[in-house]
Amino acid sequence: MVVSTGRDLSAQVKPPRTVFVNFPMGNPFGGAFDIGQQRTILLDALRALETMAKGGDIIDLPYEWHEEFRMNLGSGYSSAGSK
Amino acid sequence: MEPIAYVTRLNEFYRSQGFPSYRWTVNEDAPLTLLKKPLSQCRVALLTSGGVSRKDAPAFNPQARNDLRLDSIEKETPAHFFAINDAYYNHDDADRDINCIFPIDRLRELAAEGIIGGIAPHHYSGFMGRIYIRSTVVNEAAPTLVQKLRDESVDVFVLVPA
Repeated sequence: MVVSTGRDLSAQVKPPRTVFVNFPMGNPFGGAFDIGQQRTILLDALRALETMAKGGDIIDLPYEWHEEFRMNLGSGYSSAGSK
Repeated sequence: MEPIAYVTRLNEFYRSQGFPSYRWTVNEDAPLTLLKKPLSQCRVALLTSGGVSRKDAPAFNPQARNDLRLDSIEKETPAHFFAINDAYYNHDDADRDINCIFPIDRLRELAAEGIIGGIAPHHYSGFMGRIYIRSTVVNEAAPTLVQKLRDESVDVFVLVPA
């Protein structure tokens, strides 16, 4: 089971099972110390194991991040061309 | 909001830098192994590829490329005993609370409540940064990891790419 924040990436790689969380990279289970949200997403992922029956399927979890967010790949990509 | 189109955006980024097109992994289908027992009897392990290391282990190289290092993480490791070194995503929240990307405390709670059967002796952290040696991963690194999971009788493996 993959817990993914990159829906298009998971759709083309096709892990056996994916739950997609539309949160920023770095927050697949939610915010810091948001215990309830972290638990819910982990539990959703685990429970989905009992129902998903086709390899490559994605379940879209219904949670929304508290604000609009953009692609943030960190500082690594600013030096993507260097060795 | 609509999911971010990472593939499109990264293709644009690579093009803007004058790099050749990235060859994405595209699979047409995927194998699926059904659970053989209820979740309440399953042993669970986690994998993070978010540059997470125990504080008593060397840090990951935040700019890593083709680093197939894979750390075994004892299941009892406290949540505050991790460091994150990865320049490819924002881990401000996870620096404060590792459970944002590696929900080790939440898993312990689910085990204590009997919702899952148990936690494997080890979780895993590795395959972080950028990896372009796909065939080595598929043919060597992944089978080695699968054997470790088999050796510890893992039923459910949750992978979190950060």
